Amino acid sequence: MNAPERAGLLAPPVLKGLLAVIVFVVLPGTLLTIGGGYLFQIATTALIFVILAASLNLVTGTTGLLSLGHAGFYGIGAYTAALLSTQLGLPFLVTLPLAGLSAGIIGVLVALPTMRLVSIYFAVATLGIGEMIYVTLLNWTDFTHGPMGIRGIPSIELFGWRASSSLDEYLVVATTAVISLWALSRLTHSYYGNALRAVREDDQCANAMGLNVVRLKIEAFGISCFFAGIAGALLAHTGKFISPDQFRFSESINILAMVVVGGLGSLPGTVIGVLLLIILPEALRGAGDFRMIAVGSIMFLSILLLPKGLLGEASALDLLRRQFGEAWKSVPGSNVGWR
Amino acid sequence: MSTEPILEIRDLTRRFQGLVAVNAVSARIEAHKLIGLIGPNGAGKTTLFNLISGFITPSDGDILFEGRSLVGLKPHQIARLGIGRTFQNLRTLPNMTVFDNVSIGALAAFGHSPWQALFRGQGAVSRRINELTHEVLDQVGLSGQAGELAANLSYGRRKYLEIARALATRPKLLILDEPAAGLNDTETAKLAEFITGLVAQGMTILLVEHDMPLVMGICDRVIVLASGAKIADADPETVQRDPAVLESYLGTRDA
Repeated sequence: MNAPERAGLLAPPVLKGLLAVIVFVVLPGTLLTIGGGYLFQIATTALIFVILAASLNLVTGTTGLLSLGHAGFYGIGAYTAALLSTQLGLPFLVTLPLAGLSAGIIGVLVALPTMRLVSIYFAVATLGIGEMIYVTLLNWTDFTHGPMGIRGIPSIELFGWRASSSLDEYLVVATTAVISLWALSRLTHSYYGNALRAVREDDQCANAMGLNVVRLKIEAFGISCFFAGIAGALLAHTGKFISPDQFRFSESINILAMVVVGGLGSLPGTVIGVLLLIILPEALRGAGDFRMIAVGSIMFLSILLLPKGLLGEASALDLLRRQFGEAWKSVPGSNVGWR
Repeated sequence: MSTEPILEIRDLTRRFQGLVAVNAVSARIEAHKLIGLIGPNGAGKTTLFNLISGFITPSDGDILFEGRSLVGLKPHQIARLGIGRTFQNLRTLPNMTVFDNVSIGALAAFGHSPWQALFRGQGAVSRRINELTHEVLDQVGLSGQAGELAANLSYGRRKYLEIARALATRPKLLILDEPAAGLNDTETAKLAEFITGLVAQGMTILLVEHDMPLVMGICDRVIVLASGAKIADADPETVQRDPAVLESYLGTRDA
């Protein structure tokens, strides 16, 4: 009940330790004995998506801003890391934070004007911004190599140690993911997180209680984009190759689906959502294109049967309904769509 | 009686396209008083509220709070200066606990930032927010339900939650927008006792209400609005006998 003490599933130290043992010992150990570089790749991808989905959860789940362009900021991070390392030869320890910062700064710049937009109009704006980033990556060929993408991105290197195997890469990504989750969970399970939740529940009321709503929204969006950028840098350095196709609108929807299935506002839920939507398509690979129908059905059923997702704080449908309602609410003297 | 006003409204006007919702209203709210604001539907009460709390900007006139003009300030800046408000249609945050709802008010009073959340989770600021929230919950009698989701509270309890959240901002002036709407007689009587208790402790309250017996029973002074203009401003007894007030509520004899 008391905000800083209540911290969901991750709170008790025992549970935290247990999770750490699973992530750093049990899972890689099992994967090693089954002996699959391919399995490590899936695990690494899953962890990158954990960072991505957890960062989107901060802005959409906790703060209630529907963002449909998250893949764009993921792309900015990936291209920043790829270009800095291939063109300037900067090491991973420099490209990682710079990728986060560039995505975060562009996120704040984008947020400054768009935060005046009301609810659903903001969602449409983020959709457009995500597509703008994609088209820029695609067509600015001198800088980004266009549809050819960027090849030969150096692998992760820390103080002279090179992550040469999939296991090494997995461990670096896992460490980054754990630190990111720690930061995001500190942010949401605090009075600051309460302020963000108040913005989701009723931003006008939060404003009347003395919260600077516009500032909170911009902060949340910037922090969220920062972590999306971090995820992008990890993708660039572990995949060695990136192309604009990886940062399209469909990827934004994919990330959003993970948050919705897991439950708005819940970090453990988000992690489970990621695992479901990453592992299931892989497990159903034998079923061919049928697996896409299966994934779609899971989303549909989870929204229908679990309105709050698996562990969510608020109903996704309610949020959407409210966003539409607010967009067409006629308040005398106010403008349609923005304030 | 004529103490320094905490809030002074001067010739306040707000037009919406052709409609004049609030028309050159002037009023003074003295500290530690309970002032009632009444008027028939559409008289401009809520507009006046929204003007004071910064949700709408005036077309003309000025609002002074402790001598400082509020015109042009954002709602959160006005709240931080010391004006707390509740909403006519309950706006408790349904998916948050009672404690977290009230902590929102306390947050603004003590400040908050992402850095604080990241690196000083249990620091002095958090402790003060925690203390103030518990103090206010005790004051309104919601301590027992602190961990409950606001959505699960009864309608009457949510009214107190709404007031508690406003109190947690440490207001010098509290604006209550129809707090008795939807309450039965017993609940209204209890609420009246609670409100007068707050004033006895030194709070200044501006009360908008439809419940006439409540307003006439507890207010020090009553301001009456009709069609956006102030038609009366006096003690309850005088207002009740004012012909202009009777006319606006009951209509003229030959109409």
